[in-house]
Amino acid sequence: MVTGTNGKTTTSRIIGQILHENKTNYITNKSGANLVSGIVTTFIEHYRKKEYHLPKTALIEIDEAAFKVITERISPDILVVTNFFRDQLDRYGELYTTVRGVREGLERCPNTQLILNADDSLCVSLAENREKVLYYGFDDNAYNNQIENSNSDASFCIKCRTKYIYNNHVFGHLGSFSCPSCGYSKPLTQVTCTKIPELNSTNSTIEMKLDQYGKIRTTINLPGLYNVYNALAGTALGYQLGCSTKTIIKALNTFECGFGRMETIVKDNKNIRIILVKNPTGFNQVINYLLTEKGNTQIAFLINDNLADGTDISWLWDVDIENLQLISDNTSVFYTSGVRGEDMSVRLKYAGIYTRKISYIKDYHELITTALSSMKENENFYILPTYTAMLDLRKILQKKFGLKAFWK
Amino acid sequence: MPEERNEYNMYEINICHLYPDLLNLYGDRGNIIALRKRAQWRGINVNVHSVTLNQPFFPENYDIIFLGGGQDYEQEIIQNDLIVEKGAEIKNAIENNIVFLCICGGYQLLGKYYKTWDGKEIEFLGALNLWTIGSKERLIGNLIYECSYLKDEKNDGLIVGFENHSGKTYLGEGVEPLGTVIKGYGNNGEDSFEGARYKNVFCSYSHGSLLPKNPLLTDYLLSVAIKRNYKDFVSLQSIDNSIENQARESMIKRLLL
Ligand SMILES: [Zn+2]
Repeated sequence: MVTGTNGKTTTSRIIGQILHENKTNYITNKSGANLVSGIVTTFIEHYRKKEYHLPKTALIEIDEAAFKVITERISPDILVVTNFFRDQLDRYGELYTTVRGVREGLERCPNTQLILNADDSLCVSLAENREKVLYYGFDDNAYNNQIENSNSDASFCIKCRTKYIYNNHVFGHLGSFSCPSCGYSKPLTQVTCTKIPELNSTNSTIEMKLDQYGKIRTTINLPGLYNVYNALAGTALGYQLGCSTKTIIKALNTFECGFGRMETIVKDNKNIRIILVKNPTGFNQVINYLLTEKGNTQIAFLINDNLADGTDISWLWDVDIENLQLISDNTSVFYTSGVRGEDMSVRLKYAGIYTRKISYIKDYHELITTALSSMKENENFYILPTYTAMLDLRKILQKKFGLKAFWK
Repeated sequence: MPEERNEYNMYEINICHLYPDLLNLYGDRGNIIALRKRAQWRGINVNVHSVTLNQPFFPENYDIIFLGGGQDYEQEIIQNDLIVEKGAEIKNAIENNIVFLCICGGYQLLGKYYKTWDGKEIEFLGALNLWTIGSKERLIGNLIYECSYLKDEKNDGLIVGFENHSGKTYLGEGVEPLGTVIKGYGNNGEDSFEGARYKNVFCSYSHGSLLPKNPLLTDYLLSVAIKRNYKDFVSLQSIDNSIENQARESMIKRLLL
């Protein structure tokens, strides 16, 4: 099982690829169907009365709040936890409640092998009183954060409430934390990112150290630091299963981008790049990625407040939108749309973006047409939708622009 | 955007963000951003200071003091510091008419106590005559309330926000509500009051963030703060609020029509 706030889907996809390369038959739940109902459906769909070659492995992405409930029925052999960040708080109450919920679920499965993000103090707290734990994380010298995000989700010790000291900060509250008061600190990692030789807008090259195997080097077809964590998590699982480094490297190399995390559609030689945004940390990572754009560009924000997006959009104010000023010279328009598009316009205005560059266009078709018509060939148009806005966006791209279901 | 207006250059506003590393939930820092930007757009000099745990606090250095909401875990961390270490200074500042904006948890902490739903009473600062009682249900959703003091021929005085709290707050003698609930729960879902006002203290359950989308209220707070320091100050010049008002009015339409 894979759980955590950000990166569940991508990590599951990477693990799926590793299982595939390892010739392991497995069943898995559809992306987005990560609540109890979706997981039950997955098992029912694959149920056959008399069949001999049924897969013995299930790879399940599970919502962090649903984990507690599902463990009343099943115990995973292995649980991968990606991270804990603030996400849609109106749905789940509080961050610490979510962590507590996962811990309660784990109490029902004492034999489960944990694979945890060592850079996340909340994640590491799940290891308390458990023996079977494997850690992955960044070496202190692998990456040094240049842009400090001002809002940190967990800057105080979960055990004794003293402010953590960080030897190195990766992003959000991820990094090598230690508590000066009680000594709670980042544990030793068995799967470690030692170097990131390349991190550009389409892929990342990562050097890792696997305890028993030594160093490996691989390239993933995903941009962004957060995906380096996802690759580490997947690698840690492959390592735990005893897959060869060759298998792991091949899986990481051939892995194709998942559901909405970053999709590129080419229309008239112009690139439409869609990246899902759903919480402050993820959004900040997307912005850091946008800052690598050197060409002329346009950016659209499609913000909804349906249940699946989170009905409270105040989290937009926790995102460091201000950093977009750094690319406002080469960004001709910042479009806003969606049920709460107007709120996004306000956010942009107060982030210091010139109001003449902010354009609210309610209709997605009109918005995309407007953007494409003012673009030159090979330029990038970024669309950042929340979850349900992405579903609507796809329908439009399919119906009005005749684009096939590219995300399948 | 007018960044420089000479006639306002003589004014300076010092804003203090209390416990920014702990009480920073639900985009509350948007309120600081709004105060800073709307002052700067008029050419007023603005400084934002941070004061957190175990740091000395001299409220007389500030014109506006902001206290946001946090998760229970973080709120418990600051409780002692706020009540024991900074409590006397906060009370003193309130009586001296310094402007306070307190949201959600920060609002509750200024009251007398918080009684959990199972009857445990936690003593709070007691700077304002109000108290909070925990309930098992959470009051969550978009919120509209009317502030009569913001209403005139041109303005409807309606404030839009998003509330998310399980505590129900009740106002005692001497404390006025910030507004009257039109849609949503407000303080407790019973008496149709939202927020609290006492001297220059403004409290609300509205996240949203509250101030960016309600520029009238932001300007009101800025005006009160400047007037306290500069006796000759008359009013803020009006600026273009069309983007803010579009967002505000679209929510009003959605909830009321
Ligand atoms: Zn500690």
